[in-house]
Amino acid sequence: MPRFLSSSARLALWYLGGAALGISALLWSSYLLTQRAMERQVDLVVETEIESLREDYRGGGIGRLVEVLDQRDDDWGRLGAAYLLVDREGSQLAGNLSSWPKRFSTEGDWLEFDISASERGGAVDHPVRAKVVTLDGNRLLVGTDVSERRRFAERLRSTTYWGMGLTVAFMAFTGLWFSRRVAARVRAVAQACQSIISGDLTRRLPLERNADEFDQLASAVNGMLDRIEQQTAIVHVTFNSAAHDLRGPLFRMRARLEAALTGAAADGAGEVSASVAIRATIDDLERVQRTLATLLQIAQAEAGGNDTSRERVDLAQMARELGELYEPAARERGLTLKVSADSPALLSAHQQLLAQLVTNLLENALKYVPAGGTVRLQVTADQGLIQLIVSDDGPGIPSAVHAAMLLPFRRQARDGGTPGSGLGLSLVAAVVRLHQGRLELLNAGPGLTVRCSFAALGSAPDTSRA
Amino acid sequence: MQILLVEDDVEAAGHVGNGLREAGYSVQHCADGQAGLDAARAVRFDLLIVDRMLPHVDGLTIVGTLRLENVPTPVLLLSALGTIDDRVEGLRAGGDDYLVKPFAFAELLARVEALLRRAAGDSQHVGVLRVADLEINVMARRVLRAGRTIDLTAKEFQLLEFLVRRAGQVVTRTMLLESVWNLHFDPQTNLIDVHISRLRQAIDREFNPPLLHTIRGVGYSIRDPGQGA
Repeated sequence: MPRFLSSSARLALWYLGGAALGISALLWSSYLLTQRAMERQVDLVVETEIESLREDYRGGGIGRLVEVLDQRDDDWGRLGAAYLLVDREGSQLAGNLSSWPKRFSTEGDWLEFDISASERGGAVDHPVRAKVVTLDGNRLLVGTDVSERRRFAERLRSTTYWGMGLTVAFMAFTGLWFSRRVAARVRAVAQACQSIISGDLTRRLPLERNADEFDQLASAVNGMLDRIEQQTAIVHVTFNSAAHDLRGPLFRMRARLEAALTGAAADGAGEVSASVAIRATIDDLERVQRTLATLLQIAQAEAGGNDTSRERVDLAQMARELGELYEPAARERGLTLKVSADSPALLSAHQQLLAQLVTNLLENALKYVPAGGTVRLQVTADQGLIQLIVSDDGPGIPSAVHAAMLLPFRRQARDGGTPGSGLGLSLVAAVVRLHQGRLELLNAGPGLTVRCSFAALGSAPDTSRA
Repeated sequence: MQILLVEDDVEAAGHVGNGLREAGYSVQHCADGQAGLDAARAVRFDLLIVDRMLPHVDGLTIVGTLRLENVPTPVLLLSALGTIDDRVEGLRAGGDDYLVKPFAFAELLARVEALLRRAAGDSQHVGVLRVADLEINVMARRVLRAGRTIDLTAKEFQLLEFLVRRAGQVVTRTMLLESVWNLHFDPQTNLIDVHISRLRQAIDREFNPPLLHTIRGVGYSIRDPGQGA
């Protein structure tokens, strides 16, 4: 990996770091609040006790105070309460502490020190928090054992630490797992793309079948690849067939020219045969030219054409004019051409390519329908749908090969004798696709019906999914 | 008539140049776009034949530049780019006609003549066109021959008008498809011949001499035999 952390890992780190920080702050502040509340409670107990002893002192003087303290001599064992009353010189007057603590820390009026108490396990130090008040020169110390509370606070603190630690660990683990997973899937996609780039168009992006965003993306890309593969296959077939299709006439031209050349050299009077060869060659050249021109137009239509070259076209009028153009040629072949295109059928179209479409369908009918047959050219416009229908009562095309006939250079075996490039219907299909239309070949029993449907000008092009 | 031919394919230029010279034109050839543009600016030619794809300065740029400089010389564009969009692009850039390679020399010659006549302004802008005893009233859409009315369909009338406006010139099938039927591609079937023979039936069958002639391998021409085209 070129960077230490992938972008997903960095993102995860930022998010999870933030979340861990937030959770830790929450735990820590709740610990602090609890601890402070407990200390305040201790202080309150001690202060209340001092207040009650002060009452006793005010009521009965030092004597009364000593009396009360003597009564509470065993309160240490019962309640954890510690008392000590000393005079000016520091000698004990009353209380359950024998002497003033030697080591203590102070905090205002408060003292904290340890009392060593003998218990079953031996001597144990009990922390005591105490307050000192002065009563006419005598000093009174009232404290309480806080060891229980200290232990609780200790536990609370360690629980908080554990909580924070676990949170951070869990977040780090999740982040790592998440970023690894993302990185792995991205890597898989990148690898698949790499092998597609190096020419394996059949390869697809891996799917995990859990319909997550990655699967959505992958299946969209796979759909795109399917279309590209299909398109490439068509191009491949077209290219091969074009090369194959052109080889025939090229070979004839070459053979003819070579024969004319050697014939002319041999008898010196090859004039006539040379001119025959040249004329036949020009005919073949024209055929080659026509094939190339049609291929070019298919390519143009497949490439999507130029949007600026779209214009308002009345398909009905176009059909009438082309019908008129073809009518004499049809009659010459003994065919009847019937045109019915009365109401205007306006669409936004590539005028020349659309004319080529109609022309190709008429050419096909003229070519394949035997004399005596009828060809119908029909244009209808109904509720935003424009249909161009060319039907004949000729031999038709078996349904099984309808789809194949739309591919370039596909011709039926029986048509071998009829001149044709095998590109006519491919161009029709390409032009229909360019106009987001729909092309159907139907059996007219007998005969073939070709139906092209387009969206009329100003209505949505929904015919492709009809 | 002076023609400037700007074409980088030397062999093709040789054929076209020789053919045009044989037809009586004087031809100057440039194999490079910049040289062609300079030549067209320096001398007033009657017609430019410009290939679209040229070294240094391409054909469309030459035409565009000349049109910007208000040079009105007619331009025939030659191109191996044959899609309809390419043609539209060429004509939009200021070309007057567009011919896709490969083409028959006769096709080129017919178009050269048409462009030169058009530039000379001799296409009759009058309401009534005449060839011998054939009379066409463009406004009234009426045709008379030797004083007799001839009935024509709308398309037949358009076809006749196109031919008569170019009386004496050769008009190719492709030119007719483009101008009368607005089809910029060649259908496989030879459709024009049938329409011409129908037109011939109408205007020539019962009259003498015949006016509508077939020029083998090229196209058609209407001419007045009395004038000797």
